[in-house]
Amino acid sequence: MPKPLRVTYSAFIMAMRHWIADPQWVIPNVIAPFVFTFVALTLFKNASESFAVNAVLGGGMMGMWGNTLYGSGFAINFERWQGTLEEVLAAPSNLMHVIAGRSIANALFGLINMVAILLIATLVFQVPLGIANPLLFSLAMVLTLLSVSALGLIFASSFVLTRSAQVMTNGLEFPIYIVSGSMVPIYFLPFWSHPISYVLGPTWGTDAIRWAGEFQNVPLTFWTNIVVMMLITLGYLVVAAFLFKKVGDKVRRDGSLMEA
Amino acid sequence: MSGKSGQSSKREESRTDKAIVADHLCKIFYTTKGVVRRTKKPVVAVKDISFTVDYGELFGIVGPNGAGKTTTIKMLTTMLIPTSGAATVLGYDVEKNVRKVRESIGIVLGGERGLYTRVNALQNLRYFADLYGVPTDVREKRVKKLLHFVGLWDRRNDRVETYSRGMRQRLHLARGLINDPKVIFLDEPTIGLDPEIAIETREMIKGLVKEGKTILLTTHYMYEADELCRRVAVIRKGEIVALDTPSALKKYVRDTSVVEIDAFGVTEKCVETLKKVPEVLAVTANLSEDKQVVKIQTPKGSEIISDLQEVLKECRINDIKIKEPTLEDAYLRLVEGKVK
Repeated sequence: MPKPLRVTYSAFIMAMRHWIADPQWVIPNVIAPFVFTFVALTLFKNASESFAVNAVLGGGMMGMWGNTLYGSGFAINFERWQGTLEEVLAAPSNLMHVIAGRSIANALFGLINMVAILLIATLVFQVPLGIANPLLFSLAMVLTLLSVSALGLIFASSFVLTRSAQVMTNGLEFPIYIVSGSMVPIYFLPFWSHPISYVLGPTWGTDAIRWAGEFQNVPLTFWTNIVVMMLITLGYLVVAAFLFKKVGDKVRRDGSLMEA
Repeated sequence: MSGKSGQSSKREESRTDKAIVADHLCKIFYTTKGVVRRTKKPVVAVKDISFTVDYGELFGIVGPNGAGKTTTIKMLTTMLIPTSGAATVLGYDVEKNVRKVRESIGIVLGGERGLYTRVNALQNLRYFADLYGVPTDVREKRVKKLLHFVGLWDRRNDRVETYSRGMRQRLHLARGLINDPKVIFLDEPTIGLDPEIAIETREMIKGLVKEGKTILLTTHYMYEADELCRRVAVIRKGEIVALDTPSALKKYVRDTSVVEIDAFGVTEKCVETLKKVPEVLAVTANLSEDKQVVKIQTPKGSEIISDLQEVLKECRINDIKIKEPTLEDAYLRLVEGKVK
């Protein structure tokens, strides 16, 4: 396995071990989705079937994004609390590859969150959530997960510099739910906010997931969404690599890691 | 061609000449104050430090808190960029060849933190082996060998959170050796350990030197530096005030003796007054425990005892001894700036 992938895989496994060792994960991944679904279906109980499906999918996307954003901030602070941040930074591997592993693990837990919402909606609330094209639906979900993880990396780089990562994640959580179209479709939002929505990979991912959920033979728009999301994700990776380099140099020059 | 080759062989020679070279290292941090009008205040942590460490040498850096020991180690381990000056480890520049330096060194920072406590020792070591790029076929053998070396093999599957402080420190040491480094940086490795575990840790460090590792150690404990180090640098306020073998450093205080007073009821004020007694060069006191011990360095020996008793007349004096100075006494004189 190439070294960067091995580092990312190892960090992913370490993050999973910590999640399993800490049963608190049950709260955001089982209890919160249950509440989300209950609220969404109560609000839209007289709406059309597709609207209910959208509400459930939106709730799942919110869970995935919330987990990743929270997890990106938490990944750095977790290392700080354990006192391992210096040890990890002193290793010859790239910090971005380490955080990528943790970020993917967090997004995966968000995916579990989404699956939990779908299951709760179907089994408990008897919402007919027929997924028209399960294969492309799953593909869109996995690629969205990677895109969300890559976006989480950009935030994680800045969290190296500050102890206040948790404050930042709390502040960013709802704006991104809204502009990514997880909460409401973006055409309901004011025109000036659209450019922000379009540079977010999850916006395109959410759209692709909806297309695959509704159509067996997906329209070309589905693939357009996928390609645009992947290009944006690549852009995120380039920006994250640049930021990690800059932040790494800054903490070494200022000693800000020691102060933080 | 030959000129170039000659230059290259010269570079190679200098690369292999010394394990560690610190050349006029300086580190200045800036603290900022104010919200609207932000002002920067420089804090000099390390001021023009130069030293070299030979291959296979155990070199010590001692100094009080805030003297610049950890900042020096952090510059040598690439975790901080020097403000000025240069340093090489195994011939690699710590600023330019960051990856090469990191691949060839091990770092052990003291204290209980720095490990993943919710997972076990095996999982900690395997993780760091991956971060250091240890080949997968080597990884398992090395993890097993290191856990045996630090005596944690039987507890390998237990979560680190169940380990004692000593066990955690031993696991730190194993983690620092995971990449089989040629040079090891130990930052106060026995801090907070009980005496028995500290002795075990020191034995392990001696074992590493026998294996040919180069070690740079920082410590607060002079007896530790005396026992382990071939040479010791004493740092005060970011500067090296002495660099020599422990026995040569003791010569700084060969003209003095140490009056050790076992007493009760000694206050900080008494200690300050003792420092002002003529012919007193340095005073240290352990006032925190029931049995208080005050050590006074003086060239006058027993002649000064009556003056000291006068200062401590309000205290109960149990015993007074005249002792030969140790490395600790030399260190105290050096860090108090009373040795030129």
